[in-house]
Amino acid sequence: MSKILYVIDDNEKSDYKYNINEDTIIYHFSINGSSHVEVNLCSEGVSLYYYYNTINYTDNKFHILVNHEKGNTHSEVFNHGVNVHHNYLTFTVDGVVPKESFKCICNQDNQIINMKNGKSAIRPNLFIENYDVLSNHAAYIGKFKDEVLFYLMSRGISRKTAYELLLRSFLIDTDSIDLSKIDKFILEINKI
Amino acid sequence: MIDLLFVKNLIYYIDGDDYMLEVKNLSARVVNSDIEILNNLSLKINPGEVHAIMGPNGTGKSTLSKVIMGHYNYEVTSGDIFIDGESITDLEVNERAKRGLFLCMQDPTVIEGVSNSEFLRTSLNEISGEHVNLYTFIKDMEQAMEDVSLDSNMLHRSLNVGFSGGEKKKNEILQMKFLKPKYIILDELDSGLDVDSLKIVCENINKYLKENKNASVLIITHYPRILEYIKPDYVHILSNGKIEATGNMDLALQIEKDGYNSINVMNGNDQDE
Repeated sequence: MSKILYVIDDNEKSDYKYNINEDTIIYHFSINGSSHVEVNLCSEGVSLYYYYNTINYTDNKFHILVNHEKGNTHSEVFNHGVNVHHNYLTFTVDGVVPKESFKCICNQDNQIINMKNGKSAIRPNLFIENYDVLSNHAAYIGKFKDEVLFYLMSRGISRKTAYELLLRSFLIDTDSIDLSKIDKFILEINKI
Repeated sequence: MIDLLFVKNLIYYIDGDDYMLEVKNLSARVVNSDIEILNNLSLKINPGEVHAIMGPNGTGKSTLSKVIMGHYNYEVTSGDIFIDGESITDLEVNERAKRGLFLCMQDPTVIEGVSNSEFLRTSLNEISGEHVNLYTFIKDMEQAMEDVSLDSNMLHRSLNVGFSGGEKKKNEILQMKFLKPKYIILDELDSGLDVDSLKIVCENINKYLKENKNASVLIITHYPRILEYIKPDYVHILSNGKIEATGNMDLALQIEKDGYNSINVMNGNDQDE
């Protein structure tokens, strides 16, 4: 059973540091905020699932650093952002596996949806010094695909409702989230 | 004369004379391209009729289905499309669906994060304009999934994510059963379906047509195999973006036996050149 943390940022700059000694899931929701997050996997064999979801209205940056300080540690980082206007949204995502940490898994998946012509950037960095590591990264910046909107609309769903469905599924991307803990964030999705 | 067609939660009021899907002198091209794919094509589909459109690759069959549905990649350059006497050419895709049009897609889109049940319930809400009761919906959905031999746990999975080709097609038919369209376009339904799955899917379509006597079907296909399961009233041959020949099932069988060249459609083009 993993430890579960909920973090809600609201319109401010925030710094977080976690020293992880047991399997942990962190759901981090941000409304127009910049954050710096440092996570240290301090015990052999622990896992981290980090879900960062942000709605961006001005210029903001998100930086997360995951240090695999011990061997057999496992990190999965999922960052999803919606850049609503024409502003800057930047993700910098660092995974670090030092030479001493064997058999680690270090993965990251980053996506930013530009609702208009925002200036978004994703900087995925994998600093791997050990040869026995499994590591992947993925990055996507763009709009919701036309074919997806077409499919939804071909079943009678209006463009507005189709966007609502897609935004909600993009920003609340796992069934395991306790929605009662993020009601403010859900309300914000409906305002986009 | 006014016909009333009751479809579960939906009620369509239809004037008998205008009740049809009509494509009139339609020409269309890919957006930002000069090449016309549909070329002055006309077609009328009356209530309860099953039409099949056959043709070699690249003649515009799938384009026709997409243009009728309002696909973003195509633009109508001339002509019109009517549903029950109303032009739909300038309508948004969802408005066409609300008027009873349903496109069963050749390669249904995968949408991560939107569950089958959430998608279909939203769709039903929007088409009917009423809030669909969750309990009734789930029970109906489970039954419908059994009918098309889909595992009920797919109800809660993301739309078409991880579905096989056959499961995607069954999911399309599941949606059709729920949304109760008047005009159904089956674009290459048989592609990606094994024999058993094709039989299940076609049985469900035939059952639907039996229960909804005024529903019409346009089948887009390369091969006559599907027409053995869903019997067409008319078979059209499409060539160079227009209908070059119309007949019955015998025409489809002739094509299977002797190929498209046997019906002189291609010869006509050669002569033009």
